[in-house]
Amino acid sequence: MRRALEYDLISLLKSLGAEEVSEPHEGALLVRVNWRRLPGLIQGLLREVGPEGVRHSTCVGIDARPLNSSFKVLHILALDKVRKYLIVEVGVREDRVSVPSITPLMPAANWAEREAMDLLGIRFEGHPEPYRLILPDDWPEGVYPLRKDFPYNRKLSQLLKGSGRLSNEPRSFSANYLVRQEEGWVRYAAVPFGPYHPALHEPEYFEVLVEGERVIDARYRGFFVHRGMEKLAESRMTVNQIPFLAERICGICGYTHACAYCQAVEAAAGIDVPERALYIRSILLEIERLHSHLLWFGVAYHVLGFDTGFMAMWRIREEVMRVAEALTGNRKTYGMNLVGGVRRDIDVKKATLVLRMLERVEREFKEFYAHTLAMGEVVERVKEVGILTREDAAKLGAVGPHARASGLSIDVRADHPYAAYGFVDVNVAVQDSCDVLARIIVRYEEVLESIRLIREFLTGMPEGELMAEDVDIPPLRVGIGATEAPRGEDVHVVVTGGGNKVYRWRPRAPSYMNLATVPTMLKGERLANVPIIIASIDPCFSCTDHVLVVDARTGAKRVLRLSALSERGCGGWAG
Amino acid sequence: MGRLSILVEGLSKHVVTERYPYEPVEVPEGFRGKPRIDPSMCVGCGACVNACPPNALSMSDEGDYRVIKLFIGRCIFCGRCEEVCPFQAIKLSKEFELAVTDVGDLTQEVRLVMVKCAVCGKPYATLREVKRVAEALPDGLRALAYVCPQCRELMTSHYAGFARR
Repeated sequence: MRRALEYDLISLLKSLGAEEVSEPHEGALLVRVNWRRLPGLIQGLLREVGPEGVRHSTCVGIDARPLNSSFKVLHILALDKVRKYLIVEVGVREDRVSVPSITPLMPAANWAEREAMDLLGIRFEGHPEPYRLILPDDWPEGVYPLRKDFPYNRKLSQLLKGSGRLSNEPRSFSANYLVRQEEGWVRYAAVPFGPYHPALHEPEYFEVLVEGERVIDARYRGFFVHRGMEKLAESRMTVNQIPFLAERICGICGYTHACAYCQAVEAAAGIDVPERALYIRSILLEIERLHSHLLWFGVAYHVLGFDTGFMAMWRIREEVMRVAEALTGNRKTYGMNLVGGVRRDIDVKKATLVLRMLERVEREFKEFYAHTLAMGEVVERVKEVGILTREDAAKLGAVGPHARASGLSIDVRADHPYAAYGFVDVNVAVQDSCDVLARIIVRYEEVLESIRLIREFLTGMPEGELMAEDVDIPPLRVGIGATEAPRGEDVHVVVTGGGNKVYRWRPRAPSYMNLATVPTMLKGERLANVPIIIASIDPCFSCTDHVLVVDARTGAKRVLRLSALSERGCGGWAG
Repeated sequence: MGRLSILVEGLSKHVVTERYPYEPVEVPEGFRGKPRIDPSMCVGCGACVNACPPNALSMSDEGDYRVIKLFIGRCIFCGRCEEVCPFQAIKLSKEFELAVTDVGDLTQEVRLVMVKCAVCGKPYATLREVKRVAEALPDGLRALAYVCPQCRELMTSHYAGFARR
């Protein structure tokens, strides 16, 4: 059945204008297409498999000029039903360094295309919002940090030496608000406040435009803490040093990044990882999901003003952290992965520790969850709040528990099995009420599923080596590593380089996709529900800790700490 | 109903918070804490320097000495150094309380005497490293360990009859 689908897929892609279809590694198809045919190919795919059948995962810009080529763009499309990742490779139109934008066809490509535009200077013709996303507004025009001729240690002050000043005047994020009122479009002035301000302790914010208690519009601006990890890894780190950098992408779910990176290199180089190592990776990934979800429950309860729940959840979570520390030597940054395997074994003694922890966590978590769902004041706050319809979720490319709570049955563990997930059956938790309550239920079921999976992995773990022998990495191979992080699909794309280096490494964390859905969910909601709606996607929460409240009638703006909003409740904020 | 059960449960639970820092905290076996180089074991080969992801370890030749420097301020406690060290000279400890008042206290330096090449006279490796190599070589070749790699190359090609000088 799957084989037949695959043949159909290849002939379909060829009929849609693909020049060449090859299989760089299992689970991926590399499709070469001329830039003229790209929109036709995407349109045809959408027509043939439907908007839910193909998902835009990410887009990778590559500076291939040192390889006697030009710039390239790789669109990574996930075909979850067929269990394939499509790598659509497009060479840029050389006279203009541009490719046609596919954002009008797949809105999920919006940010990824703008990122390639910012960092590599590739133009996306027909992009509906061709504005800067990653680089600050006052970054000089025509300087693209991810190009290979840009040294990684170049300082901004050096760039400005010639001109003596910034080439762009800093722009306010939103100098004007246009709001449709009964009398027509009304323009409101906005005062720039934040994200860098003594009152704000995290540089990232949402702007919420309100009228009275109702949210009319919301905007998000992020990427103030872009750390240039890709450049760092490509220019000065070796293949086996990068897992430790990848692990530091996220403060909660770092291990999943290290796994995705290693999988990408392993796939590109065709390395056979020993089965025992795969099982150990899966166990740690599930332990990570367990503590991440428990952390989320705590944060969500805290945002709802239910601090007893917050304390209880984190007390339960602490057990998981201790076990993680005993297994890996650190509570958070596990440092377990190298390309080809893992560094530490899980012996019988450690396995017993895990099983004992699971038993306690399962009992206490189930009990407490039952108590909370019996509390009307908790349920009322989350029921039918923050609706993200199934259509919007698919269109905007939502992933993880967030997408599953909107009725989309997507889960990398089941759709694109990696590590040891191919040896077990993963039950995908799906809810279709599309609200915050659904997100709570999905995560509850996932906690229990994680516990079940860890038990199954511990019983099924075979004896054997931990590390592949004779790891040899050929240059210029492309590989995709995808994992189901606690927040959703985490994709890493690697193009290997010679001499123990990577040529291009592109990680894409799940919150990248989910944050784009927040404005949609906020529209029409009450202001008091904003914190829990933002929290419900489980963003890296400390980074999205601030909302800006704008009164649509007076244009007055105030910046509040999100926590203050959750404490004060709905009492007359916009007055 | 739920509220009442939570209250009952809360009252039945004992205090789980630890009194740290007033009481010490046990860390498990295999904990990855502050690394330490054993100066008597280190041969200055630089394997740890190559593996260290954040460049917390560095190596430099200062005159007749090779200096291996460990700066804890950059360390991420991954333990790669311990893993690649051929002589178990660097090990991670269970120590995690790393606050100091002087940043110099976060640095450890190992200075090792270097050997001068028997032919050209340039220092090229540490005495300990050279001794290890010499011990491993058969009698006839032992003297080669005391010659720097460049001179050794020339000598070898000369012996093999490839020299074109």
